[in-house]
Amino acid sequence: MKILTCVKYVPDAGDEVGFDSDLRLGRTGPSSKLSELDEYAVEQALRLKATMDDATVTVLSVGPADAEVALRKALQMGADEAVLISDGAIAGSDVFGTAAVLIAAAKHLDEVGLVMCGMSSTDAGVGALPALLADALGWPLLSNAAEVSVEDGQARIVRTDEVGTRVVTAAPPAVVSVTDQSGEPRYPSFKDVLAAKKKSVTTLGLAEVGVSADLVGAGAARVQVTAVVRNPERAAGRVIVDVDGSSVDDIVEFLAAATK
Amino acid sequence: MNNVIVLVTATNGLLDAASAELLTIGAGLGPVTAVVAGEAGDALVAEIAQYGPAEVHVVSCPQLTDTLVVAKAALLVDRAAETHAGIVLVASGLEGNEVAALVAAKLGAGLVTDAVAARLVDGELAVDKVVWAGKYTVTATVAAPIAVLSMKANSCTPAFVPAEPAVRQAHFDYTATAPVATVISTEPAAASSRPKLVEAGVVVSGGRGTDGDFAPVEALADALGGAVGASRAAVDAGFAPQPLQVGQTGKTVSPELYVALGISGAIQHIAGMRTARQILAINSDPEAPIHRLADLSVVGDLKTIVPAVVARLG
Amino acid sequence: MKLLLFVVAIAVTVAVAVTLAAVALFVRGALTLYRRIAAGAPSPGRLGPVGPRLGAMITEILSHRRFSARPLVRVAHWVVMVSFILLVPTLAIAYVQVLAPDAELPLVGGWVVWQWLLELFSVGGLLAIVTLFVVRLRHRSDPDDAAAARDWRSRFFGSTRWQAYFVEAVIAVVLVCVLVMHTLRSAALARYPETAADGGWAHYPLTFWAGQLFWNLSPAALDAGISTAAALKIITSMIWLGVVGYATTMSVAWHRFLGVVNVYARRERDGRPALGAATPMLVDGKPFDIRDIDDLDEDATFGIGSIDEFGWKGLLDFASCTECGRCQDLCPAWNTGKPLSPKLVTLALRDQAAGGAHTGDVFAALRSSGVQPAGAAEAGLVPTVINPDALWACTTCGACTDQCPVDIEHVDHLINLRRHEVMVKSDFPEEFGSLYGNLDTKGNPWGLPPRQRFDWAKGLEFEVPVLGVDVTSAAEVDYVLWVGCSGAYDEKGKKTTRAFAELLHLAGVRFAVLGEAETCCGDSARRTGNEATYQGLAVQNIETMAEFGVTKVVASCAHCLNTVGREYAQLGASYTVEHHTQVLNRLIREGRLNPVAPPEEERVAITYHDPCYLGRHNGETSAPRELLAAVAAAPVVEMEHHGTQSMCCGAGGGRMWAEESLGTRINAARMDEAVATGAATVATACPFCSIMLGDAAAGRDAAPAVTDVAHLVLAGVKRGLDNPTQPKTED
Repeated sequence: MKILTCVKYVPDAGDEVGFDSDLRLGRTGPSSKLSELDEYAVEQALRLKATMDDATVTVLSVGPADAEVALRKALQMGADEAVLISDGAIAGSDVFGTAAVLIAAAKHLDEVGLVMCGMSSTDAGVGALPALLADALGWPLLSNAAEVSVEDGQARIVRTDEVGTRVVTAAPPAVVSVTDQSGEPRYPSFKDVLAAKKKSVTTLGLAEVGVSADLVGAGAARVQVTAVVRNPERAAGRVIVDVDGSSVDDIVEFLAAATK
Repeated sequence: MNNVIVLVTATNGLLDAASAELLTIGAGLGPVTAVVAGEAGDALVAEIAQYGPAEVHVVSCPQLTDTLVVAKAALLVDRAAETHAGIVLVASGLEGNEVAALVAAKLGAGLVTDAVAARLVDGELAVDKVVWAGKYTVTATVAAPIAVLSMKANSCTPAFVPAEPAVRQAHFDYTATAPVATVISTEPAAASSRPKLVEAGVVVSGGRGTDGDFAPVEALADALGGAVGASRAAVDAGFAPQPLQVGQTGKTVSPELYVALGISGAIQHIAGMRTARQILAINSDPEAPIHRLADLSVVGDLKTIVPAVVARLG
Repeated sequence: MKLLLFVVAIAVTVAVAVTLAAVALFVRGALTLYRRIAAGAPSPGRLGPVGPRLGAMITEILSHRRFSARPLVRVAHWVVMVSFILLVPTLAIAYVQVLAPDAELPLVGGWVVWQWLLELFSVGGLLAIVTLFVVRLRHRSDPDDAAAARDWRSRFFGSTRWQAYFVEAVIAVVLVCVLVMHTLRSAALARYPETAADGGWAHYPLTFWAGQLFWNLSPAALDAGISTAAALKIITSMIWLGVVGYATTMSVAWHRFLGVVNVYARRERDGRPALGAATPMLVDGKPFDIRDIDDLDEDATFGIGSIDEFGWKGLLDFASCTECGRCQDLCPAWNTGKPLSPKLVTLALRDQAAGGAHTGDVFAALRSSGVQPAGAAEAGLVPTVINPDALWACTTCGACTDQCPVDIEHVDHLINLRRHEVMVKSDFPEEFGSLYGNLDTKGNPWGLPPRQRFDWAKGLEFEVPVLGVDVTSAAEVDYVLWVGCSGAYDEKGKKTTRAFAELLHLAGVRFAVLGEAETCCGDSARRTGNEATYQGLAVQNIETMAEFGVTKVVASCAHCLNTVGREYAQLGASYTVEHHTQVLNRLIREGRLNPVAPPEEERVAITYHDPCYLGRHNGETSAPRELLAAVAAAPVVEMEHHGTQSMCCGAGGGRMWAEESLGTRINAARMDEAVATGAATVATACPFCSIMLGDAAAGRDAAPAVTDVAHLVLAGVKRGLDNPTQPKTED
């Protein structure tokens, strides 16, 4: 079974980011990398693989040619192969455009048993992609998992949210998304880094996975960004250094004023 | 005129504050049909009516509990078709965003998740979303005929507009057209006497600096009638359960008062609480980033200061 | 008479039999050890050049300088060592003396000088061994009773007690035998007028007096006595030889032979301890270089994961351990209740190399202290032989290696073990995951944007030139200021960088920085075993510095000083790197900076915390002290541990980035020492130390202020500028 793990190449959250004149996140300024939340998906895919007899992990990304960086990182972590769908027409796509490409790629690749995703991207932060993939593929959605396992032919997740803690199962093929509670992503050993140098990244265009250019790009986007405003920074207030409880009076006074 | 569908939720028969906000936002966009998925007593319907909906649909659906989100999404699609809705509003959250995505997919609608404001500008729907750890607000218009939005809590103050909506009881049976996931067990979230994290006027959060002892955090939260939150570091260390996490991959809160105890203030945490009106931070590290945005910063040991404060608040 | 002959016959028989058996056992043991050590991986460069190595070895052994912190033990051990060497020839002649009690060593036997030496060192040796025995008893510990704090704190905790007592007892018995033989011989000679001169005090300066007690014994009885004592001496010595030969892990005894070789094969030929630069990581016997990554063999392994991957020098290290526990005694991790003891790690590896069996004391100590986890059954050294908690507790402060009298290279071994964990197994404390990620992607441990690296200079009243922007070549400046990650990103560190830059500016020194082109030196990556990340950073810095022709560097971080100054040379890039305290010291001496002490009523006592990577690793303990004396108008008040005996702040070895959840906190223990001096200010000279000690001070009442030396110097210089009439402090 192939575990297809979708990953995104995103600007680094710690960097100062800016928006280009076309109101897209500036990709030139900050360094970009494999989205941290997608590292959890790669990690869980690798852990699942280790529990299965015949599994392989394929990482898949839609993005510019530079996105190979994100796929390389996933290969270093231990993924077996990597596919990048890169095409000039894709730029400016919204989540539906991205979903269309990923869906086509998932159908294009053989023997996909699980599609793994992170809970959300760290840049656009839509959090909708796993549901869209499941819907379009007609596969069960096992989303926002804090734990994932595959036993006796059943994929099983544990999900904790407002409702409580639920155990959800489905038979593969299925779409699974994992949260940042699912287990820390591994740091690749140097042996793994060396091994990854031998693996290649397959780059495909839209035509090769059979997606019409009409479905992607800014023109197909159902949502158009019209303005970007930088929010004012919060300014630092008063700082007091506590010595033997000397701050208690000030704190009590502050709390009283704030909760009036 | 846009017909608006609002998915309303309740806890223990009481309308959630986030739903009251959605009703208020919806009322600014067009005639609102409030949809309750499941049961609703008269008291809840009356409470919903306080926020000006034109109609209230109480839709029972037997498949809600044993499917994850698909039944709820299909139920909303059904209501949207029935009311010819142009806008669908749900509350943000792990589930809300998924429901929104599925509804948008089925309706061919435009989708914005985690929006903080929605308004009509020259008849066009404009939506604000805060991105990049709170640094930017992006405004987008929806080009598709239908818009599905998930809205963050604390995006507006619910406005009382008492109305006498038409109340309809309906039934919806979800029939799967493709295999779906099955919920095989549910352990309800532990009941808490404290207010809900995202709705609370006061949030007291603990971080790694608590060294695992959340007693001072809870004591201060109770003294102030507030909710308890936690940083990602505290959740990862097992000091607090994940549903209490405040930040990028947890809850976004916007209370009147946010108290950060032993929290250093990583950007992912700040993204979840930066819109609080007042912030108090207590941290022994004078260089902690949290001190750079708190209204009152105390450099000191929370383990001694907080009990003293709680004692004074009596 | 018959009885005497009978005694002699028995003595001869037993002596010969015991000797044959002992020599056989010893030869077998020596061969076993040789094979065990020779089976190790290559340790290139450890056998030559012979001349300098012999010189360093002889100097170190004869001076016993590693014992400098323990003067009494130093003298006692030196005397015992010399007496052991002197007594070897007397053991040979003892075989003759069993039959011919009047036999003497050829050539030197009756020589007054020899006889005096022998007498002095026999009596001295006896006194010395009794002293050492008393020292051992006073520090005695029972690892089975580790609950007692006294046991845990003892440097002999985990040392095999019977072996040490046995060795000491043998020495005592042999020396007593020698003295008895001398006494009786003196009596046999002195009682007859014709031989009285040969038996007098001139030949037997110490035993002659006791010999008078035996003048009334018959010559035969005296001879029998000598024969018996000689036989006893032989038998005792041979029992020792046999036991030692049988017990190849009895390194407290083997150190007499192996320790000498180990000191000869030391890492640093010039006699320094194996500190400063970490040992290069060898892959197939050659130093790893990230630039040759494409030539790496597919099956290449990194670091040390099993006992046979240690170089022969490492195996020799373990076999030479005297179990003296000086390493354990000064280890900051051990002293704050963590499961790491450099000695116990050494013993665990020694016994692993020998097949895995421990003595009862070692076994009990390994288990009770957690150095070796109970019940682990996985392959590899970690976690079966060495507990990961012990491996990762090391701050690489180097106190162990600095103290070790036989030059065991503890720090290098631990780093090599860590390399295997990180580079092959990817198994390390969770916090290092984000450290490595930050270093790999951002070039600093905090993961802050590289473009903020030069923010520290914002708002300075003078311009700091940046190479490649304001200055095209390092030849145009006196120094390149290496800022370091702490100096660029940490609030405290930034203030120190600003203070030092201001001092350079005031002194008229031409300097420039690399600005945003600088990246982390790689110390934390290297010392946690991530050699790949370290070299990636190092190569980047080396290329940047090559671009601008950088040769002279000054750094205010002791870790940068060590890494850029000592370790980049392993990658073929050599710079002269000085510490900011050294440069400031020189500027003051040259009169380019004139600090003035505060007025008398404002003066406070200052204590100085030696950064490990400045003091122990790089031998600089005086420059910062002189600076402090100059600006404070008083010598620093010293803490209990200072200079090369200093105690770590807890941040070295990458521990800066890890939680300290086991035992008590090292920085708090160090602050206790600072508080005990009564000083109002703790000065230090490394940003890591500033952060750690600052944290320790924050948590307590009336703690001293923690500051970098640069701030005190700047304050003094500013006082001088404000009141130019005041006399300079040097006057």
